[in-house]
Order: sequence, then structure tokens, then C-alpha cells
Amino acid sequence: MPLFPILNSQFLAMHIPDGFLSLPVLGVTWICAIGFISIALKQVESDYQDRAVPLMGVCGAFIFAAQMINFPIPGGTSGHLLGGTLAGILLGPWAGALVMSVVFMVQGFVFQDGGITALGANIFNMGLIGTFGGYYLFRTVRNLVGHELRGIIVGTAIASWFSVVVASAIAAIQLAISGTVPLLIGMTAMVGWHVMIGVGEALVTVSTVTFIWRSRPDLLYSSSKRINSDLSR
Amino acid sequence: MPHSHSHNFHSHTDHHDKYHSHSHNMIAPTIHIVCTLIMVIAIVATPDARWLTWLIYGCGIIVLLGMSQVDLFTLYQRLAVESIFVSVSVLGILFRDGNGIIWQWGFLKITLTGLLIFGSVLCKLGLTLVLMNLLTLTMPIPVLLQGLSILRVPPLLIAILGSMYRYLDLLVEEFMIMRRAAIARNLLAGKRWQRLVIGNMIGSLFIRTYDRGNRIHQSMLSRGYQGVLPLQTPPKLNWRDRLALGFTILFAVFGQVAFYH
Repeated sequence: MPLFPILNSQFLAMHIPDGFLSLPVLGVTWICAIGFISIALKQVESDYQDRAVPLMGVCGAFIFAAQMINFPIPGGTSGHLLGGTLAGILLGPWAGALVMSVVFMVQGFVFQDGGITALGANIFNMGLIGTFGGYYLFRTVRNLVGHELRGIIVGTAIASWFSVVVASAIAAIQLAISGTVPLLIGMTAMVGWHVMIGVGEALVTVSTVTFIWRSRPDLLYSSSKRINSDLSR
Repeated sequence: MPHSHSHNFHSHTDHHDKYHSHSHNMIAPTIHIVCTLIMVIAIVATPDARWLTWLIYGCGIIVLLGMSQVDLFTLYQRLAVESIFVSVSVLGILFRDGNGIIWQWGFLKITLTGLLIFGSVLCKLGLTLVLMNLLTLTMPIPVLLQGLSILRVPPLLIAILGSMYRYLDLLVEEFMIMRRAAIARNLLAGKRWQRLVIGNMIGSLFIRTYDRGNRIHQSMLSRGYQGVLPLQTPPKLNWRDRLALGFTILFAVFGQVAFYH
């Protein structure tokens, strides 16, 4: 029995709508997001060359599809995958963050899920912090534990939990700076909630990454591997 | 269990063939987008509690709704789904701290500050949602994405966005088939197994997706793709475009200035 049926996580998504953030916050996050995307585009173009368009496109559609399915979250409610860390682990930090940004753009422009003026903030929170940060946290933990499956599992679990929680904390801080939601309420509502969502995110991401590691380990991104080497496969 | 994302998804994709609008035939798509963005930014940039400004903008949007001849029921359906998404976050604002307590029940209290910010956010949210829905209801999405090129969005990004939108239906459908297969085999019955099974489904979908991406790339190459996308030349602006752009800017400024009088 859900504790708060109405507080279903899909209604508490981190996609910040239009009208919640003040102009300075919007400006700063847009500048960060634009700079970040332009670097990511250059990186992806040089890494994937002419495969960039079809591959990033279908991966964006993949993340979108993966976000559509509900699963139970410990604590009694249900939620869906956010997929930021998953994208980073599968595609690498630059391509992963670019794919996530593309997903937010389509969600914002086509589905009005997340605001247009707040798009910069959403890309900043979940693309930059969630995916980019999530990937490097994953790599650090994996290297600490070791390169075996255990390292991947522990790294994935920690990174996906942290990326969700940290991204929600930053969203709460942005709302507080904008004067919309006071920091205390924002933190308790957003972060408190995403602590639980993060557990679901971690469990599903671990299960996904383990599945891919077992069946097609060559598809997991590895920083030492030349991405284009499997082009002729 | 149906998911609101999927409701949202279908309420948007079902209506692609039914563009009732005339306005997108009258002005260039890029100008249509620029005008919408100018208005969205003007609405969002308005300081709190300037009700008159939003009232003026709202009237303008109602006139626009009438001119565009969009199906109001479709618009209502979309807004209904989208407002559920944001309802909880908006309610959080209502019960915030501030000066002038109006209503109190236990630790829940509504203050004057809270009410002002709540109303302001509600105005901004409602107006921008209607405007953005109006844009996507009157313009096919591929045209919308191409139209972004005038906003200096890099061609590579537009191509990736277009490619994603092209395969969205396909991948969502593929995932729903996998989900149906899992339900048919009773794999999604137990709560603990559910997450594992869904994780495996997502993993399997990624493997298929990556291979599909490579196949698409191969077929693009076989059709002569060399990593350069055909660039669309931006259309020449006619007097209607200039008029629409000029009028939008004037209207946005008028709404802001009207507050002081």
C-alpha cells in the first residue's frame, strides 16, 4: 500500500517547468548547458564520426522508451528510470550526456515535460551533474573495487543513487535561489523523495548493466577502447 | 498499469496528422518559433504579482487560439495531462513560509508571500504551457526541429534530434512488446523480481538499439551519406513574417509597460 498515493514519483519528476526559476538562475544554467553541449557535440563528432547521428538518435529514443516503464520503489510507491548514469556507463560521459540533453530537448519541445526556459537548468542538473558526474563517480568506484563484475555493480549502484540525489539537491538549490521554494522545504521534498527514487534507480541500473556485461560486454563504454574500432565489425 | 508518460506520449503522437492551423502556412516556421519563444521569455521574465501583464498576455493568447483554429479539446486533453505533472511542485509553493499568515492548520500555513508566488508561478506555468502546446499543435515536429536551425542550434544537434524523434515510436513500441511478453510469462508479478526483469528488458533493448543504430548507419552509408547532412537554406522573410515578429515584440513590451500605468 503506497504511503502517499498522490506522491507518485512521476509527479515529482525533476524536470523543472517554466516559471519556477528566476532570470539569473536561468541565465547561468543556460550558459553552462550551451557550453557543455557544444563541447559534447565536438567530442561525439570526433569519437563517432558519421555514426553520430543514427547512433545518438536511437540511443535518445532508447532512454525515452526506458523512462516510460514503471517499477516499484522501496517504500511502497512506483517510479521510473531517469537513466542519466545508465547513459553515461553505456555510452561514455560525453555521448551519454549529449543523449540525455537530446532527450530533455525532445521532452521539453515536443511533450512539454520540463520548461523551455528551464531547459538549460534541466540539462545542467541531469545531463551535466547526473550523467557526466555519474559516469566519473562510477569509474572512480569501479577502479577502487577492481575491474571485475563486482566493481561494475558497486560502481553502478553508488553512482546511480548519488547522481539522482545530487541532481535533485541542485534542483532544490536552484528553486531556493530563485525564491520559489524555500531551501528547507525544497530539500526535504525533493531530496528526501529522491533518496528513495535513487534506490529504485540503482537497482534497475545495476540489473541493466549486469545484463549487458553478461551478454554483450563489448557494448559497455570503456575509456581505453577506441570507439570506432568496432565499426568494421 | 498505464503510465502518465505514455498517456502524454500518445496524446502527442496521435494528432500528428491533424494540423488545423492556418497560421503555420502564413508565416515561416522559424518566425513562428521565434515569436513563441519571445512570448515565453516575456511571460517568465515578468516579476511576481504583475497580474495585469499576464492578463494582457493571456488575452493575446486567447486571440491567437481563435486565429489558429486548433482543436480546443485536444489542447484541453494535453493540458490536463501536463498539469498533473506539475501539480505537486506547484502545491509545494503554496505552503511556503512568508509574511502575513492567511490560513493555518497545524504546521500547514498559507502566507501572503506564498500566495503571491503561488499565483505568479501558476500564471507563468499556465500561459507558457498553452503557448508551447499551441506551437506543437500547429507545426509538425520535424518542421519544428528544422526551424530551430535559425536559433543557431548546431546542425549536428538538429540531425540527432530529428533522428531520435524518427525512432521514438519504434522503440517505445518495441519496449511495450517486450513488456507484454514479460507479463504474458508472469515475469512482472512479483515486486522484487519486477525490477530485475525490467532491468534485463532495458539491457536487452539497449543491445537491440545499438545494433539498430549500426544498421541504420550502414543503410545511410549505402545511400551515400558521408557524415554531412543536407543543409536547409533559411527561407526568405516576407512582409508577413516581419509583421508577426514586430508585432510580437511590441506586444511583449506593451505587456511589461502596461504595469506602470
